[in-house]
Amino acid sequence: MSFITQFMISQGVPQETLIYLLMLPIVATVIALARQVIGIKGFGIYTPLIIAFAFLATGLKYGIIFFFTILITGTLARLFIRKFRLLYLPRMAIALTVVVLAILAIFYFGAYNGQTNLISISIFTVLIMVTLVEKFLAAQIERGGKGAMFLTMETLILSIICYWVASWVWLQAFILSHPLATIFLAIIINIFLGKWTGLRLIEYFRFREVIKSIEIPKKKRPGKI
Amino acid sequence: MFEFLEKSRYVLGMNARILTYMRPSNSLRAIRIADNKLLAKRILKKNGLPVLQNYAVIRKLHELRDFDWSTLPNSFTLKPNRGLGGEGILIVYAKRKKYPHPWVKADKKIITINDLESHILNILEGTYSMTSVPDVAFFEERIKLLKLFKPYSFRGIPDIRIIVYNSVPIMAELRLPTEESGGKANLHLGGIGVGIDMGTGVTTTAICKNKIIEYVPKTRLPLRGIQIPDWEEILRLAIHAQQITKIGFLGIDIAIDREKGPVILELNTRPGLSIQIANLSPLNDRLKRVKGLKVKTVTKGVKLAQDLFGGEVEDELEEISGRKVVGINETIEILDKNKEKHAIMAKVDTGAYRTTICSNLAKELGVDQVIGSKKVRGALGMEERNIVNFSFYMDKRMVTTEAFVADRSEMKYDIIVGRRDLKRFLVDPAKNVFMKKPIKAK
Repeated sequence: MSFITQFMISQGVPQETLIYLLMLPIVATVIALARQVIGIKGFGIYTPLIIAFAFLATGLKYGIIFFFTILITGTLARLFIRKFRLLYLPRMAIALTVVVLAILAIFYFGAYNGQTNLISISIFTVLIMVTLVEKFLAAQIERGGKGAMFLTMETLILSIICYWVASWVWLQAFILSHPLATIFLAIIINIFLGKWTGLRLIEYFRFREVIKSIEIPKKKRPGKI
Repeated sequence: MFEFLEKSRYVLGMNARILTYMRPSNSLRAIRIADNKLLAKRILKKNGLPVLQNYAVIRKLHELRDFDWSTLPNSFTLKPNRGLGGEGILIVYAKRKKYPHPWVKADKKIITINDLESHILNILEGTYSMTSVPDVAFFEERIKLLKLFKPYSFRGIPDIRIIVYNSVPIMAELRLPTEESGGKANLHLGGIGVGIDMGTGVTTTAICKNKIIEYVPKTRLPLRGIQIPDWEEILRLAIHAQQITKIGFLGIDIAIDREKGPVILELNTRPGLSIQIANLSPLNDRLKRVKGLKVKTVTKGVKLAQDLFGGEVEDELEEISGRKVVGINETIEILDKNKEKHAIMAKVDTGAYRTTICSNLAKELGVDQVIGSKKVRGALGMEERNIVNFSFYMDKRMVTTEAFVADRSEMKYDIIVGRRDLKRFLVDPAKNVFMKKPIKAK
């Protein structure tokens, strides 16, 4: 283990804190890579990142249950209050309230069935996920239901991949033993990603008809005119 | 596979669009103009370019409260100033005669003053704006649909998107509203994109939702071969707008009004890339060819665009029909008696059956061996003409002919090519039309 991390842990900084902190640049790099090289859009960098870390805190099973509860109740609430023609912020506040009601119901259900794993989940992770409902609903307003659904699913898949990366035990050991190398590497990779002008993977698919129809001009043989 | 990768370098992707073209070419000032519809209109109008008239602008809540609705005409468009991708645009077609005189939308739904008020409230609040910041709403004149486009568009106005770079129009696309796109011409909402040949302004391939289609959905109306009117004027407008706004990498939307002709609708600094699919042609390659060229005048820019990126329609036609497309004036190469080639300017004349050659020219080339004669009925009555036999090359194809010999020394052309020798060609009367006297080739 690196001298820096060892010192901090011996002084009482929780190991989890260090892992989460050092994992953040790596997860952010994965998201940047997914956007620039593969072409998965998702909601920027914040949303998939925060969902991935929320999954780390809640566990994947409960994380996904919360995710869909928030998404579905938020959407239903929006469709219902749309009729009343309210201004944007009050409308969002009502949607948030309805989502909170659903979360409360989940916790009640957990308490009723004695699911200790569920009811002991840190409330801050759940709160952060609840606030993401604004992102989902704003996307629905801007892009329409289908586009927003696609974007949300992309975000979910990206978050799950990030969750797997962040919960990879070997990687956790690596970042604790090489904290500076981790950060340095993340910066280097992102500089390259930031200068990458090649086609994204999905663009090879999107433009396949165009690419097929291209005729490469034949090179002239040297020496002869 | 390797070839596929090599070819893919000709296509412009999102990453390269931002890093290679948008960042270096589009200054903050340029982006500010493009993102602000009212500002863009003001600048374009000041420079004499055609834009749509504004009826009213509503910037603040109290302006909405004091607004006199009776000043609005029967048909108009209501738009957010900083809207993105056609969102938040409301189009009103007519006004009901019955009290309380509500307006009517394209789908015959009724729009009352209350509806307009709540829509404007949403706009002012920034619901449709790019960054959700408070916005401005404005009423604009509604474009009157061109008859030509009527069968192709569903309850809306088609527009022409042109990408302009370095004062040269690079690629163009006709965007047609469909039932799915709700009368808006935006591709990501489900509109149709049709590629346009830069040389002639004739449409080529079409796409709907990134898939290639041949006909307008649910009809047998082909999307290929529509001639966009005022094509050169549209190209000129696009270049003019770029030079005025200094948006280096510009996607411009131009619509054609029934009375006003081409009108600039909108400027974009982030033009969509699916225009490449609609044209089945890659952007990166075209952009590279134009980069670094010094284009001083608008006319030069139009010419460059037409010469560099035009001609696909003709190539395609030749491929389908197996016949070469020739114009009215063509340089042909006549073989003399020693089988040597002599280039001569000829006129292609589908009104004549046989080719006619000037007697002086025939003598000069040594092809004046008469093999027969025929009576012809001309404008001057019956006449007996001699027939000679020779071969010539037109557009790299050899034609062996039995041609009339006549005195054509008073005529503009020494030789006209008639129908009998045009069987392997298609004649395009718009090609190679020279208004000046033809230079007689050596």
